[in-house]
Amino acid sequence: MKRPVAVVGVGQTKHTTRRADVNIAGLVREAVDRALIDAGLEHKDIDAVVIGKAPDMLEGVMQPEQFLVGAVGGHMKPVLRIHTAGSVGATTALAAVTHVASGLFDRVLTIAFEKQSEGNAMWALSPNMPFMPPLVAGAGGYFAPYVRAYIARTGAPPHIGPMIAANARDNATRNEYAHLQEPLTVEDVMQSPMLWDPIRYLETCPSSDGAIALIVANEERAKKGPRKPAWIKGGASYAEAMWVPGRDQVNPAAGRVCSKHVYAQAGITDPWNQIDTAEIYVPFSWFEAMWLENLGFCPIGEGWKIVERGEQKFGAHLPINPSGGVLASNPIGASGMLRLGEAALQVMGRAGAHQVEGAKTALGHAYGGGAQYFAMWVVGSEL
Amino acid sequence: MAKLRNVAVVGFAQAPIVAHDAHRTAPEMLYPVVRQALAQCGVERDAIDYQTAGSADYIDGRPFGFVAALDVMGTWPPRQDSHLEMDAAFAAYYAWIRMQAGECDTALVVGYGKVSEGQPERVLNLQLDPYYLAPLGLGPMSTAGLQASAYMARSGASDRDMAEIAARNRGAGARNPDAQLRTAASADELQRTPWTVEPLREGYVPPIGESAVCLLLAAEGKAETMCKQPAWIGGVDQRAEMQSLGARDLTRSASTKLAAEKALAMAGLASANDVDVLETLSTNPVEEMIVREALGLPARGETKPAINPSGGPIAGHPLMMTGLIRLGEAFRQLSGTADGHAVPNAKRAIVHASQGHCLQQNLIFVLGRERRWS
Repeated sequence: MKRPVAVVGVGQTKHTTRRADVNIAGLVREAVDRALIDAGLEHKDIDAVVIGKAPDMLEGVMQPEQFLVGAVGGHMKPVLRIHTAGSVGATTALAAVTHVASGLFDRVLTIAFEKQSEGNAMWALSPNMPFMPPLVAGAGGYFAPYVRAYIARTGAPPHIGPMIAANARDNATRNEYAHLQEPLTVEDVMQSPMLWDPIRYLETCPSSDGAIALIVANEERAKKGPRKPAWIKGGASYAEAMWVPGRDQVNPAAGRVCSKHVYAQAGITDPWNQIDTAEIYVPFSWFEAMWLENLGFCPIGEGWKIVERGEQKFGAHLPINPSGGVLASNPIGASGMLRLGEAALQVMGRAGAHQVEGAKTALGHAYGGGAQYFAMWVVGSEL
Repeated sequence: MAKLRNVAVVGFAQAPIVAHDAHRTAPEMLYPVVRQALAQCGVERDAIDYQTAGSADYIDGRPFGFVAALDVMGTWPPRQDSHLEMDAAFAAYYAWIRMQAGECDTALVVGYGKVSEGQPERVLNLQLDPYYLAPLGLGPMSTAGLQASAYMARSGASDRDMAEIAARNRGAGARNPDAQLRTAASADELQRTPWTVEPLREGYVPPIGESAVCLLLAAEGKAETMCKQPAWIGGVDQRAEMQSLGARDLTRSASTKLAAEKALAMAGLASANDVDVLETLSTNPVEEMIVREALGLPARGETKPAINPSGGPIAGHPLMMTGLIRLGEAFRQLSGTADGHAVPNAKRAIVHASQGHCLQQNLIFVLGRERRWS
């Protein structure tokens, strides 16, 4: 990267089913205020605002960033709105990094949010498209066939998904901001109702109200801040077409290419040993095993073995989603930025009870669309 | 101003704006213009580092509408990509920032959307504050009506002034093969059209229209190999204002004024009088007058820069891409490809793009035939 950029402030809300005490602007403002306080900054210190969220139909407001300009302190500033499906939170944070890396902005506020309680995600994500059979099954209905394909290819045993779900919920007990904080056993998960075979109810992300804000700054500002920053060592966002012969949604090309690009920027040649912890986008349990392969942490077909050996648990070799991840909190548009923000907190050494000891290098990852959009960054404790 | 990277518009293709393309989906409308823009530059998709798009799910009437455009943008093998839920001019702005960050040298920027499949007046109501404003039933035409009334009260502008501005745009649109309204109309005729929302008449506002647009940007070193006469970007800035109609002076565009000051300073120009062409995203004559004032130009009558020689949005306003078309039109003027609506000897241009009710957010580009930084 031409100019060094760092995360200097992180603020998030307590994710929950319904924040009836605030409207959308109030929810977003809460995260923004926390990020500014965290960075020791005020609105006047911010040069531009980059906002992301998932489909506007989730709340029924078209381009809601426009009515939020006042609430986020964007009046008379450059404001940009990103939307790249589920990966949007990550793509949005990366757009803020690009702003600073351009040299034109010193400090940029970036925000992602979803207030799912103001709409109905299952309705909004089940479009009736012309010339296509109506699936009316939401994201789970879309992704379940690819999970089945993964199981068929690898011969993974059926308890892998439930193990991932139980581990995510165990992790969430250590994160005060997580939505679902009740621990689960593998048995609990296996006895929950089947929604989209093989994905059971307790292997599915919740619907959450939540927001996150990050402040990214250039080298000079980051070094002057009150806290140790998280340095962006590499970042990229990639997409791939929908209808392409040979496209593989179990192990998507865009995810492989994106992670290779990011690792190359960060000087990572052996992700399994050089990355200390990773926050990856796992809306349905099995995707953890699939993305461990897609991200190059293990050979193809062996992601589930990492889970079976428990090497991705908190305190093990490569803790995955120590925050509890998407399976514990899913304000959709914010979920990608939460992954990136949580990775930053880890290398800042400020993740609280879910801090991975000695984390110096962390990956934040998100995906979206029909496993088509990938966005990720690697952050480090040192410049 | 610190030295920045010279970046230019090097290609632009646009589907002629129509009321309703009955036979093609938005991606089908987009594919030919992507191919045309690449062909203009003599390159294939593999030669482009980065792609970005501007569109809105609420125009598409479904979530993730932009996913469908990936296929016709040539997104295989996987490409570095992002999508903005904004007018595609803002996607061009973001691509320019990426080039300043050294993250890419070339970019494909598209805008699309089947506006005719919905009812913009109802859809754009949903852009307003969902708790306080949207439930009132205000659409963009009614908020524009409020703005126009306020502007007339402050400035003394008359119905006749509006008719003359609309007539000038319509006359220009008649010379632009990509415009939707291609017949000239006199101020007298337009002044006899009925109110859409008083004080705005049918003849002063654009009809519903749709198109598809592709623009190519390239940094110095690549730009010269892709285009005989690139349109070099010398200055850029964008600013947003609070939405609340009562929280800002609707008769002035403070954000346009600030963005223009910053962009002109970046470009090393003293004023908007230093350019030959101005393309504005003004969807009625009052918005044009407000933008002209914000740029320091006379609100009415002759100006040094030719304003909207393409006919402007009054002659065709395909939502989510009208701003990118303004940038494309500036390229046509500066690269000598504006043909029938060319402004003779155009050397510099200002592009204004906007989105939101009553010019809420505004973007300014300053372009020229010469490189800004040596």
